Amino acid sequence: MQQWIILFRKEIQENIRNFKWMWVPLVFILLAAMEPVTTYYMPTILKAAGGLPEGAVFEMPMPNPAEAIMMSLAQLSSLGVLVIALISMGTIAGERKSGVSELILVKPVSYFNYITAKWASYILLLLTSLLLALLASWYYVTLFFGSLTITHILGAFLFYGLWLSLIVTISIFYNAWISSQGAIAAATIGTVILISTVTSVFGTKLSWSPANISGHIHEMLITNAVPSALYGAAGLTILCIICLLIGTIFIFQTKYASRKSE
Amino acid sequence: MTILQVNQLTKIYNGHTAVHPLDFSFEANRCIALLGPNGAGKTTTLRMLAGLLAPTSGTIQFTGLNGGTDRRQWIGYLPQYPVFYDWMTGKEFLMHCGQLAFLSKAEADIRSEDLLKRMRLETARNKRISGYSGGMKQRLGIAQAIIHKPKLLLLDEPVSSLDPIGRREILTLLESLKKEMAILFSTHILTDAEEVSDELLLLDRGRLIEAGSMKKLRGKYQTTKIELAFQNDVAHYQEKLQNLPGILEVQINRDMLHVDATDISVARTVILQAAAKENWPLTSFVINRTSLEDMFVKVVDQHATMDHSIS
Repeated sequence: MQQWIILFRKEIQENIRNFKWMWVPLVFILLAAMEPVTTYYMPTILKAAGGLPEGAVFEMPMPNPAEAIMMSLAQLSSLGVLVIALISMGTIAGERKSGVSELILVKPVSYFNYITAKWASYILLLLTSLLLALLASWYYVTLFFGSLTITHILGAFLFYGLWLSLIVTISIFYNAWISSQGAIAAATIGTVILISTVTSVFGTKLSWSPANISGHIHEMLITNAVPSALYGAAGLTILCIICLLIGTIFIFQTKYASRKSE
Repeated sequence: MTILQVNQLTKIYNGHTAVHPLDFSFEANRCIALLGPNGAGKTTTLRMLAGLLAPTSGTIQFTGLNGGTDRRQWIGYLPQYPVFYDWMTGKEFLMHCGQLAFLSKAEADIRSEDLLKRMRLETARNKRISGYSGGMKQRLGIAQAIIHKPKLLLLDEPVSSLDPIGRREILTLLESLKKEMAILFSTHILTDAEEVSDELLLLDRGRLIEAGSMKKLRGKYQTTKIELAFQNDVAHYQEKLQNLPGILEVQINRDMLHVDATDISVARTVILQAAAKENWPLTSFVINRTSLEDMFVKVVDQHATMDHSIS
């Protein structure tokens, strides 16, 4: 356990010194807060920019608070995935390529600790960013479109956090497997797109798919109750995360020696 | 006391055998040099011992280590080109490594400070590693390898990338480390091997072709030569020497004559007598042992021809 904490602390320290702890939350906040703001001011912006014919009647329906929050989450789903893939693509592969992992793994470091400490540090960074982003979005949504309770926001955070955690786990999984960082980012994004596409094609049959989490969150925000399918999707996502982590450790282990004394 | 026993250690990469079945053992507090030309399998062997590479077959056994215990606790390793977390300071990196090897924070702190002093890095202890010079990185590399007081220190070409001063420093350091742990280091520079090691393991194309103390190897492979230099043209004397009794071969090497003889002391008398009688204009008369390089080439060559005759 002490070793796990040492490794975890190193990851946090590294991501503070390379400013990931600064820019990732900022990007997330910007992505999430921009949506309600631009939606609200769109008519004003269009008017100011001109180009509309004289006397044109321009009506834009204002979204309800739940829809507005969902727009923020949609932004995070597309650009946020890109950010996750980019920040985590080198966490293992980069260390292996540079050779620094040789110095670390020749110490009696357990592979489980090495992988899960990295995983946990990125989960912490992204969940913190997500929470800040949702709070920022919540502020503007309440300001422009009407109120939502904090319970709604925390619920959305909890379930959407699972989806982001799955994406981090996918990236860590590819990290143990592939050595090129570009390929890791591409594979991560590709996998997420694949899951989302398959889910949207067979949406009704795959209501427990992790990619359906945001859809279920929408339902939750409207109905004020957690739909059972959301529990299902959350459970399946957690299962996927655990399986992927086990797979990651297994793959990583086979790449290194049997370190036991025979 | 034997601390490590290596049995039939083999590594095969996609059908190419990088290390043929290798057997050797280690005594505590011995310094062994792993010698061999590039591509001989030195790094592969070290990485397998360090637990960074799974052997295709064979066993590596530490005396006194129970089955199932992690042998990395007893091993320190420095790769040929050590890379660190550049964003850490030297002190931070040592602390990190020490604690990963289960030192407590206080122990790691004492040990780090001690090693920083010993490696003459105390003024750079709070400097980011990205600003370290090559020699400083090499010293930090050794410090991280021995922070947990391993029983066996593995060094991959520890001095080949250093300038003469850095080289000397590391060799002196190895000399003093020998008192604390067994050392295995690879090199292709023979004089380094001769300076600090008690034993040599000679590797060529993945095979252990010779092993033993320096003295034993010298006795086996070293021959003695007489080197002569003259004021005038040496070619004139080549034939004269050839006709003297007991002389095997006379070769011209630039402006010197190299004389091979069955018995050097007899040859010396014969040559000096002839020189006195005919008043040869000798400028130099040297009895030379073959250099280590010659010996090395000879062993590798012999092995290669043997190989050839088998296939």
